[in-house]
Amino acid sequence: MTERHDPLRMEYGTHDAGLRLLRQSPPAGAASASITYVGPAGTGFDPAGGEGIARMVARLATCAAGPFGRVALARELDRAGATLTSQIAPESAEITIWGPAAGWESLLELLSHAVLRPRFDPEDIERVQRQLLESQLRELTQPAHRAERELFRAIFPTGHPYRETGWGSARSVGGIDRGRLVRFHSEHYTAEGGVLVATIPAPLKRLERASARWRGHFARARAPSSLRPRPVLGHRVVREVEMAGRSQTEVHVGGPSIARSREEFPAAFLANEVLGGRPLLSRLFQDIRERAGLAYHASSDLEAMRLGGYWIAQAGTNPRSARRVAALLIGEVDRMGNELVRARELDQIRESAIGEMALSLETTPTAHELAVDLAYHDLPADYWLGWPSTLRALRPRSIREAAALALDGRRAATVLAGPLA
Amino acid sequence: MHTSRVPRPRTRRFRLRNGLEVLLAPNPASPTASVWVWYRVGSKNEHPGITGGAHWLEHMLFQGTPKYAKGEIDRAILNVGGLLNAFTDLDYTAYFATVPREHLDILIDIEADRMTRALLMPKEVDRERTVVLSEREGNENWPEFRVEEELYELAFRRHPYRWDALGYRTDIEHMGAEDLRGYYRRFYGTRNAVLVVSGGFDPRTVEREVRRQFSPLPAGGADPTVREVEPPARGERRSTLSGPGTTPLIAIAYRSPSIDERTAPATMLIDVLLGGETRIFSAGGRSRSGEHPGARLYRALVDPGLAVRATSEWRARVHPGLFTVYAQASAGVALDRIEAAIDGVLDRLACEGPTTAELSEARTKVLRGAALAYEGATRAGYRLGYFASIMPPGFEDRLYREILATRASEIRDTARALFSKDQRTVVRYEVVGGRSVD
Repeated sequence: MTERHDPLRMEYGTHDAGLRLLRQSPPAGAASASITYVGPAGTGFDPAGGEGIARMVARLATCAAGPFGRVALARELDRAGATLTSQIAPESAEITIWGPAAGWESLLELLSHAVLRPRFDPEDIERVQRQLLESQLRELTQPAHRAERELFRAIFPTGHPYRETGWGSARSVGGIDRGRLVRFHSEHYTAEGGVLVATIPAPLKRLERASARWRGHFARARAPSSLRPRPVLGHRVVREVEMAGRSQTEVHVGGPSIARSREEFPAAFLANEVLGGRPLLSRLFQDIRERAGLAYHASSDLEAMRLGGYWIAQAGTNPRSARRVAALLIGEVDRMGNELVRARELDQIRESAIGEMALSLETTPTAHELAVDLAYHDLPADYWLGWPSTLRALRPRSIREAAALALDGRRAATVLAGPLA
Repeated sequence: MHTSRVPRPRTRRFRLRNGLEVLLAPNPASPTASVWVWYRVGSKNEHPGITGGAHWLEHMLFQGTPKYAKGEIDRAILNVGGLLNAFTDLDYTAYFATVPREHLDILIDIEADRMTRALLMPKEVDRERTVVLSEREGNENWPEFRVEEELYELAFRRHPYRWDALGYRTDIEHMGAEDLRGYYRRFYGTRNAVLVVSGGFDPRTVEREVRRQFSPLPAGGADPTVREVEPPARGERRSTLSGPGTTPLIAIAYRSPSIDERTAPATMLIDVLLGGETRIFSAGGRSRSGEHPGARLYRALVDPGLAVRATSEWRARVHPGLFTVYAQASAGVALDRIEAAIDGVLDRLACEGPTTAELSEARTKVLRGAALAYEGATRAGYRLGYFASIMPPGFEDRLYREILATRASEIRDTARALFSKDQRTVVRYEVVGGRSVD
């Protein structure tokens, strides 16, 4: 692979409005480009009584922006062969455009409208409010969503930025008007604290020139004040949510975790891969599906963000097996923190995780995800190049210690949502 | 965009003497290689009593052969950072894996081995029963699954499209290893298979390896053509389900052409005009949140606040299938109003056809959507295999040409024939036990 086409060799650039830039080459032979703005505009910034506003702003930004109403924007994207999407997390919101690489400057222009000049047209606001109300109901009535909602509420206290999933309530969403949306947008889609990540077939200088047009268009340069996490769960709790009329019960076990910047993160990452993060090979998949036949899906996730994080181990099972599955989940979590991982198991999981890097470089969107992660967490530009050796340096003892810290079963919440036998 | 500008990988296509169809799509720059095997058999080749068998068998092909013990297929691929999966449809069953390119050989070996040598041990089949039941139960938690299952069950009385690929619960509870073995012996083999290799590899070396591994295999593979023909309905069919959920749903399905019928290109364009996209041309990437504000159903239902989402769906099928319109009501809106609005949209298209601008936009959407569909070895393998498994060679090119040539009047005439009320099936889902968030 030549350096020119190596998507792992990224470059940081500067933007005089304070926005950080990161450029990445698309994979060799790739025909597409992806560009993302990530800003401090996640659901954790929802003001009290205005829950749902972060999701509304992100969604509306991709509906209609700059000179384009919603139909005109959709046509413009179709003409460009592009898609424009938003994604939201507790700390951040991402707006991404993906389309033909040859037209990356046009993609950047369209993205700038979405990020800097969303229209917030009244009919769009009303429509998105209706859609959010339906999503709120889904969160209450769908066992998988309900389990996640109850888990966060069990782990994080009132006021913690990770406590709410950001769908809001009928009252909070109903009370969001255009003025509040404009204010939230101007305070959170900022240059400072934001990052523009471009996977494009052009050098950094051209990205800097092209993005210079963004200068002066941010309503505010300064980032909003930081979120303030509060003390979290310190002991085990179990919550059962009876939901009749469903076929399957969702079992979620989870707890608070570490920030991405912690030095223990690589070991915690591997610990989670052993536990349930590595598809098919992980302990949860092997125990719950392959040996016991109790579930179709059984896995775990570790979300390490800027201020902290959380982990979730989950499975969907027949109501008769729900409590047994809950015990298996928590049992495996405890084992991670109490026992050393066998060398053979660790090697297998580690080499799988390292080998997967090649698959991340198959397409522009998958390579771009690596770049967005790197830029958002302000990691060194060669971070992913060093990732294999970072993982290979880890020993079973550091994995166990990181698991005890980042996947701590002693202060885990367990939620069963669905029919309860 | 002219069809010749829709980029596609250069592909060598050939057939072995035992009937295996092979497509090699090398991309020297790719860091990965992907191997796909598509069998032209799916749940349409089951019968009552063994519904869900094709899907269960798909699970069992990961559970061991004499050469690869249980778990070894997974480990062989995952240990090098690969990914693997499989899926079962009404018309086909597909297996795939993608690995860093230097590990390609193992994939060819695995696929050749499990094409005819899966163990299907009764003990393992029994253990997997609860897993496939669990997969079904997870789907049953979603009202959308219940509606679609009911829709097909009601629309088809003879044709095996009437059951979902997951099968009936009672069949999964009662069938066993012998049933799966019977289906496997009958349908699996080179004659019913398409092998696709895409990504970073030397085509001459891989062709040699493919011939070495697959040529000795028995052709097997009974003809998967389904003889049953669904007779015309004697009027509209309706059903109402109820259960937990958010807001009411409605699905209206019309009898639609199979993929090789003359009206297929016009039907695809109708799907784009009504719902905003067509699945077989979607680039495989992220869609715009499923929102297509220019599409007719969106404008008639979502814009005025009747529905929170509204779309259409026509899937390419080997046999005549269904063209379906779905809508989810906004809170407090009755399904009668939604149904009347959908009827209005369909009647208007059948009466007036599309405008010139609309048709042009629909064509652009289709062709632009296809432009990035082959990026990456995995997606290229998927798309090449998908077309090859259910469509004749050259079909994709022909389809692009025909889509560009389809006139507004043909779309109007196709819509008129398609949206026949006495051939339709309507399923409603009413919510019980809903609650407000406040």
